Amino acid sequence: MIKVLFFGPVAERIGSNQVTVAFRPGIRLQDVRDELAAQYPQAFEIVCFAAANGEHVRDLSLPLADNSEVAFMAKFSGG
Amino acid sequence: MKPAVRIQQEDFSQDEEIRALQASSKRMGGIATFLGCARDFSEGREVSEISFDAYGTMALSELNRLRDDAIEKYALLDARIVHRIGTVKGGENIVFIAAGAEHRVAALEACRWMIDELKQRVPIWKKEITPQGESWVTPHP
Repeated sequence: MIKVLFFGPVAERIGSNQVTVAFRPGIRLQDVRDELAAQYPQAFEIVCFAAANGEHVRDLSLPLADNSEVAFMAKFSGG
Repeated sequence: MKPAVRIQQEDFSQDEEIRALQASSKRMGGIATFLGCARDFSEGREVSEISFDAYGTMALSELNRLRDDAIEKYALLDARIVHRIGTVKGGENIVFIAAGAEHRVAALEACRWMIDELKQRVPIWKKEITPQGESWVTPHP
């Protein structure tokens, strides 16, 4: 199982802070993004960044291990 | 002593943070600080509160990395970063950054660099709460 976290404006558009995606061998971050973007197109319009296990990921071809925690995030506005 | 990097709901004391920074080295000749506060007016609207959401574990590790990077890049003697989350009212403190170096230029430049990088790298989002409704803030360049 892959845990997907959402925060702030993305969470608001999805209506949830967390969903799960079934793990399958060879699954990549891009696959998770594609699956969820098809389900929640409005939320993914504002997604600019991705993270896996708490680290920024720029290359979405990153393969994911089972029990990974990923996040799709809007532009940050802290400070 | 409190950790040099923190994310917390409660307000912080600038004096306490500066004292902690000063206590880290007697070679410190300059300390630069940045205090970010909640404006009560934005884009032509009155703002009563700002609410923050954060990817807590990642935000804390990014802030620690940011401090480490600043210490290395500017040869700082020490640095501290405190960011509040939860709800902050207009006029209240949001973020405090302090950089201590042997000389003022490194401290001033590092402080500016840290707040600019924080806005780019750290997963925290702010929502302005106004009498007309709530809206997530679109980042400024």
